[in-house]
Amino acid sequence: MDTTVLVATIVLVGGMALFIAMGLPVAYAMGLPSALAIVILLSWDGAALTSAQRILAGSNSFPLLAIPFFILAGGLMNTGGIAQRLIDLALVVSGRLPASLAQTTVVANAMFGTVSGASVAAAAAVGTVLNPPMRQAGYDPKFSAMVNAVSSPAGMLLPPSNTFIVYSLVSGTSIAALFMAGVGPGLLWALVCVIMVALYARKHPELKGTGERPTVGQAALVLLRALPALLMIVVVIGGILAGIFTATESAVIAVLYCLLLGLAQRTLPVRSLPGVLLEASKVTGIIMLLIGMSGVLGWVLSFARLPQLVAESMLGLTENRVVIVLIIMVVLLLAGTVMDPTPAILIFTPIFLPVVTELGISPIHFGAMMVFNMCLGNISPPIGNNLFVAARVGEVRLEGLISKLWPFFWALVVALFVVAFVPQLSVWLPTTLGLMDAAP
Amino acid sequence: GGSGDAAGSGDGKTMKLALNQTEDHPSFIALEAFGEELSEATDGRWDIEVYPNATLGAQDETIQLVSDGSIDLSIVSAPQLENLNKDFVVFSLPTVFDSVDTQMSTINDMDVVGDVYASLEDSHKFTVVGGITQGARSFYTKDGAVTTPADMQGLKVRVQESPVFISMMEALGASPTPMAFGEVYTGLQSGVIDGAENNEVSYFTQKHFEVAPYFSYSRHLIGADFLIAGTPVLESMSEEDRAAFDEAWQNTWKYHTELWNEATEEAITEAEAGGATFTEVDAQAFADALSPLIDQFVTTDTQRALYDGIKGAAE
Amino acid sequence: MSTEPADPGGDPPEGPVRWAPLVSALGGVRRVVDGVLAALCLVVFTALVIIVSWQVFTREVLNYSAPWTEEAARYTFVVLALVAAAYVFSERGHIAVEMLVEKFPARGQLVMGLVIEAIVIFFTAFVFVWGGWRIALNAWAQHLSTLPLTVGQVYLVMPVAGVLIIFYSVYHVVGILAGVESATPEFDENAEAI
Ligand code: NA
Ligand code: NA
Repeated sequence: MDTTVLVATIVLVGGMALFIAMGLPVAYAMGLPSALAIVILLSWDGAALTSAQRILAGSNSFPLLAIPFFILAGGLMNTGGIAQRLIDLALVVSGRLPASLAQTTVVANAMFGTVSGASVAAAAAVGTVLNPPMRQAGYDPKFSAMVNAVSSPAGMLLPPSNTFIVYSLVSGTSIAALFMAGVGPGLLWALVCVIMVALYARKHPELKGTGERPTVGQAALVLLRALPALLMIVVVIGGILAGIFTATESAVIAVLYCLLLGLAQRTLPVRSLPGVLLEASKVTGIIMLLIGMSGVLGWVLSFARLPQLVAESMLGLTENRVVIVLIIMVVLLLAGTVMDPTPAILIFTPIFLPVVTELGISPIHFGAMMVFNMCLGNISPPIGNNLFVAARVGEVRLEGLISKLWPFFWALVVALFVVAFVPQLSVWLPTTLGLMDAAP
Repeated sequence: GGSGDAAGSGDGKTMKLALNQTEDHPSFIALEAFGEELSEATDGRWDIEVYPNATLGAQDETIQLVSDGSIDLSIVSAPQLENLNKDFVVFSLPTVFDSVDTQMSTINDMDVVGDVYASLEDSHKFTVVGGITQGARSFYTKDGAVTTPADMQGLKVRVQESPVFISMMEALGASPTPMAFGEVYTGLQSGVIDGAENNEVSYFTQKHFEVAPYFSYSRHLIGADFLIAGTPVLESMSEEDRAAFDEAWQNTWKYHTELWNEATEEAITEAEAGGATFTEVDAQAFADALSPLIDQFVTTDTQRALYDGIKGAAE
Repeated sequence: MSTEPADPGGDPPEGPVRWAPLVSALGGVRRVVDGVLAALCLVVFTALVIIVSWQVFTREVLNYSAPWTEEAARYTFVVLALVAAAYVFSERGHIAVEMLVEKFPARGQLVMGLVIEAIVIFFTAFVFVWGGWRIALNAWAQHLSTLPLTVGQVYLVMPVAGVLIIFYSVYHVVGILAGVESATPEFDENAEAI
């Protein structure tokens, strides 16, 4: 590595660490050191123009349009009452199990995640509805909030998922294939939560099922009310598979579906629409600025050929696939303690993907590992959006929630290694559907 | 390494070249050889570092970077240059070139193309050095071969967003469908589109043959990629080094054409083994349907002169 | 920092406020800028929904693909992303890790808050305003393929967004110094949805 590149690398890595720690918006903490590194490698002029161009190029992408649309669809669902209906259905499904309300929290989060592109919305909706009755039924509120927090990231794995869309951007892999690769790991995530709740229920026999066995008529009514929401999954996934629209276009279909459903059912007043649109715009602005700045970072990494250097030095240490995957997963878990999924994926994918593809791991499988890992990041202290939201809607202190977290967290870490070392769990479905090659 | 500061001083540098192809593509291999030959001929004063996989940006963005001097060289397709100077449209019209060989000798013949290649030097500070072939483009479809334009009626065919391509599809009676390149595979598979068009190499490497196994040799257009270079960089070369650069380029496009023909043969064999069928079409019927495009797009005097020059040189 | 931090969108709190006329004048400008950006977000986002819906509708129902929809959607998205990103600066709503800064004493937080705004102003001026202006000029004659616009004309949104971001930062600097705003941004609900 020549001196200029070395200095640029130090500015880049040191600057990012310093600026993130200082509390500069993460997007700027990525962009500024990257621009300064370009100044060192090129010139002030070159850095200004290149950085501006990468920020513009970040949103000049048709596939990424799915991000604002899925965010908007989520907002319409929350405002239009679709969330509540899904939770009612989850209660019917899991209402008679031991610790039924906790199980319902898990199932509701998984269901909500299946129709939504983001997971934190699920935690907010599910916790708001289910935490009060759990308190009444004698659950420790810290435990209730924790179950809500740990089960909500399943929505980032189950399609549709904005996190997978971001990964597809940096890895150049098919969104449709990635969506299908998330199904197995997403179900595994929910299953681990169900098992852990069941183990908890054995130690706490006082937490029975709700006992109220719904009549067939009641159950049918709940199902009927949730049917339009469930039908959205059929319309979106079915429309993609039937060739009516692409994975990207399916996001706008989800928007239209939620809009028409809410208007038809009169649960979504027209006067609420500007507010929903404006909230979705803000989230879009936040994510797209991150993606734009990561484009500056990605450009300077490529320009200085740093990913190749990292890949070569990692492969120089060992060519043992298990060891390298372990190292990468641990690095990402550590990063996830303080980083959000979007910036973490944008920063680490270009560095690690060349290493794992060299080892014969498919980019689709690596995407599943990476997103699963980022889901753990969302619930790992000290910084995790799902923790914050679940604690807030559960009206408990963050430390209280965290005190109940660890058995669930470590069980999910074990599940991460299952995802990492059992590729079939992720790649079987997309391969079977013909969305990716059989050979990795 | 060692970038930036040498421009204008005349003592050389390692030029950065942006490419949107992978490392096993003929373009990458030929351009790497370009750098080696240049370095050898100039005793290491000038060298080229190729950045594959569009890591420095998409083609339209690398044009801006070359124009600004942030990078030195880039490979871009004709429609990108057409967005800056309408004369470049002549290179991407159907029926302009009869074969890859006539195309290659013509687009690297400065007597024919010299003026248009220099046309962006003042306004955009880059020079078009020459071209390499993208091969003949043909249609491939999901359900059965298309042997006449009549077979294309109503088919949804993915095309690049370029007026020529859109008019071409309309002339053939197909429905031109815009779609991001990365979505074409799943689009074909699920049936959002019925077909697409490209050369044999992309057809195979993008795995499109798996989902659209009918490749019909319409050869409706022979595409070209152009090497563009920052004009100040070229001007900073000593006369001797510039001559070495030009000579190395002549060898590069010839070597690229060889590699391209090999890659095409290989792609056909591999795609056939994977279940694709390659069918000849009624070439005259396609040519008749497409010939009105020449008068539609060759409208100015400079375009007409370039068109006549190309046609004259080919004879 | 002993006083309750104000909601940047609300009225100034009770207590000692320096430079009241300046703060209130800037507040007035900010409300106008907020209103314009919010209206732009609504219009542009709605346009985006319509364009992509139109793409599916023309292709599947009319069996004809409008050739301009893909390109139009991409460049509309560019505009939305920049306008919305600028708008979020109004509330200091971009994701930041405030874990460390919150452990600082009040004076340290104040200084850090000002340093952060200074860095935001520097980077925005450097990249959004200067870089954005240069890339817009550079691409001024680069035509879009299917629309009667040039890339440079669309790119102009970047220097404009940059100027507005700098305005918001100046507003926050004055607010922090005048004591009407806390040195670190409030826990923000927008960040939750990510
Ligand atoms: Na989801
Ligand atoms: Na975390």
